Amino acid sequence: MSDTGQRDDTATDGVGDWAGNPYASRMVEYTPYAVALGMRFVTSSAGRGEILLPWREDLVGQDGTDILAPGVLTALIDHTCGLAIMAGLGFEAAPATLDLRIDHMRPAAPRASVTCSAHVYRATRTIAFLRAEAWDVSPDDPVAAAQAAFTLNRRSVK
Amino acid sequence: MTAAVDLDAILNSSPFARFLAIAAHADERGVLATMPVRDQLVGNVMLPALHGGCVASFLEIACLLQLAREVGTGAPARAINISVEYLRPARRETTFARAQIRRLGKRVAVVHAEAWQQDEGKPVCLLQSHLRLPAGLTAE
Repeated sequence: MSDTGQRDDTATDGVGDWAGNPYASRMVEYTPYAVALGMRFVTSSAGRGEILLPWREDLVGQDGTDILAPGVLTALIDHTCGLAIMAGLGFEAAPATLDLRIDHMRPAAPRASVTCSAHVYRATRTIAFLRAEAWDVSPDDPVAAAQAAFTLNRRSVK
Repeated sequence: MTAAVDLDAILNSSPFARFLAIAAHADERGVLATMPVRDQLVGNVMLPALHGGCVASFLEIACLLQLAREVGTGAPARAINISVEYLRPARRETTFARAQIRRLGKRVAVVHAEAWQQDEGKPVCLLQSHLRLPAGLTAE
């Protein structure tokens, strides 16, 4: 919360002790399901991640629509949340999704690729709370918004 | 309420359902959906475990199939939102799912689904969804 009482969408509280991980992109490049869907690493920093998912014919939800299936976005959002955590904690953690809630505001445009950006807005020693958005053309006009909680499974926290 | 819908035709009309190689048949309890294991579906090579994203997608499709069976049309419903809970890692095994319509309104259905592997009593993943019904239904 900022002192105006409004939610700060850019805050990343609790990641100050996260070391950072220069190899975070490997999580996109070497995870079989991320590779199978064609995900491409865009950028990451401690508590933040961004992944692009190029449009592909076999990932369409319904014949004749040319629109990516909502389930493809679910995987993209889940993986981008994981990236935001791994980009901060690296191999110190083995994060696992506890829950993920996604609002589908509108369908993506036909034949449109989708980008997802996720950030940890609050982390404790054991849990990370994330928000994520996915868009086709502009981040200002998202196709989906999500909120997730991950257990961090940090090796140093018993 | 059940109606004759061709589950195979619904699955075949979805490239992504074909990508996941999902199969389904109806029995006395409703639609039983199956997702065969494949190396491509792995999300964690260390455990190893299936990617949470593909298990959630599988449950979304299970919801659509059960809804189609109950409203009697293959016309696709659209997800308004979903909420997924991951209870335990999904192993490199065949995964099963069933969905249940908790409310069928005029425009929106509330559908819950569960995925399990060897033991239906130990679900790996739960999903709740609000689905916008296809236009032109006379449900309720």
